[in-house]
Amino acid sequence: MKLELVTLSGVKVDQEVYEVMLPTAAGPISVFPGHEPLVSIAVPGAIVVREKKGDPESALEYYAVSGGVIEVSQARVRVLVDEADHGEDIVEAESKAALERALKLKETAKTEVELEKATQLIDRHQVRLNIAGLRRRHRR
Amino acid sequence: MPSQRQLKGRIRSVKNTKQITKAMQMVAASKMRRAQDATKATAPYTETARKLLAHLAKQGATKRHPLFQVRPIKSRLLIVVASDKGLAGAYNSNVAKQYLRELLDDNKNQVNTKSIAVGRKVTNFVTRLKDAELVGAYEDLPDTLEGYELRPALDSAYKLFVDGEVDAVDLVYTEFVSSVTQIAKTERLLPAGSAVETAIQAETEDVPQEATFEPDEETVLESVAYRLINAQLFQAFLDARASEHSMRMLAMKNATDNAGDLIDDLTLEMNKARQAAITQELAEISGGAEAMK
Repeated sequence: MKLELVTLSGVKVDQEVYEVMLPTAAGPISVFPGHEPLVSIAVPGAIVVREKKGDPESALEYYAVSGGVIEVSQARVRVLVDEADHGEDIVEAESKAALERALKLKETAKTEVELEKATQLIDRHQVRLNIAGLRRRHRR
Repeated sequence: MPSQRQLKGRIRSVKNTKQITKAMQMVAASKMRRAQDATKATAPYTETARKLLAHLAKQGATKRHPLFQVRPIKSRLLIVVASDKGLAGAYNSNVAKQYLRELLDDNKNQVNTKSIAVGRKVTNFVTRLKDAELVGAYEDLPDTLEGYELRPALDSAYKLFVDGEVDAVDLVYTEFVSSVTQIAKTERLLPAGSAVETAIQAETEDVPQEATFEPDEETVLESVAYRLINAQLFQAFLDARASEHSMRMLAMKNATDNAGDLIDDLTLEMNKARQAAITQELAEISGGAEAMK
C-alpha cells in the first residue's frame, strides 16, 4: 500500500508502507492494505507509519501534522495537510519553549494575522510535544 | 562646462547609487529563486485537492453546498495582491491598472464592489479611490509564507460569500509565467464551481466509486473545498511574490546598467575637462614665456 503525504510545501512522503495510523475527527484509526475506500477529515495530531509487517515499535516513523483530508483507496492512502514534520526533527525542549512563546504571543496579538499565527503555533507545538512523548515511550 | 571638482562629486554619488541598486538586484535575485521554488512546491497540494474535489463532485456532493452556488452577480469581492515596497518596476502599477479595469467593468454592469487589499502600496491606492469599499487590508506579511497568513483574508471572503453579501470572489494578482514574463490577471475564487469543472476534466484516474465518508459527505466536502480555495489563494500569493522579486531584480538591473553608463559619460567629460585645463595652463605658460622675451 502506498502512502502519499502532501503538504503546502511539497510532497513529504511517497513510499510503500504496511500500516498507517491517522488522526481523524472521530479519533485515531489504523489503516492496513485492503482497507475499505474512505474519505475523512484529519485533525492536528500524529501520523504513525509502520513500513514493513513485523517492524518493532521502535522502528515506527512519526509525523506531526496539522488538519487536512484523508483519502483511502485500495492501493493508496493519500493525506492532504497544510504541514507535516518528521518526528526526528522535533526537539522536545525546543517545542516546549516555543509553545510557551506562542501562548504569550496569543495574549499580546494585535492583528488578525498575528492571532492566527499564534493559534497555529500553539496547535503545532502541542502536537509536536505529544509526538515527542510517544517516541520517548516507544524507544524505552 | 562643469568644473572637475563638480564632475568628481557627481561620479562619486552615481557610484554610490550603483552599489545600492546592485545590492538590491542581488537580494531580489536570491529571493526570487526561493519564491520560485515555493511556487513549485505547492503544486502537488493543489493537484491533490483538485483530484479529491473531482472525486466528490462525481458523486454529486457539490450541488448542494453553499460554496459551489452560482448566483447572478450583483456584488463581488476583489482580493488585490501586490507588495509592501516599491522599486519593483511596473509591478504595483500593473496590478493597480488591472484592478481599475475590474472596477470600471463593475461600474458599467452595476455591480457593487468590495475590496480586500494585500500590500501597503495597493492599500494606499485603494483608499485614495473615492468609491472603492475596502473591507480588509493586510500589510507586512513575512518573507516566507507558510499558509496561515492568508486565513484571516480567506475567512472573511468565505463569510461574505456564504452569507450572500457578495456573489463572487475574484483575485487580482500577478501570475508568474517565467522570470521575464509576469502578467497581472483576475481569477475566480468563489463560487468554486469553475475549479470543479477543470478538476473533472483533468481527472482521468480511476477512483473508487463507493467510498465511505466520515463523519459525513458534507463535512468532508467543506474541508476539501476550503483547502482547495486556500491552496489557490496561497498559490496566487506565491506567484505574486515571485513576480515581485523578479520584476524588482529586472528594475534594479536596469538601474545598475544605467548608472554604469552615466559613470562612463561623466568620466569622459571629466577627462575632457582635465585635458582642457592642462591645455589652458600650457598655453598660459608658453604665452608668459613669450612675453618675457
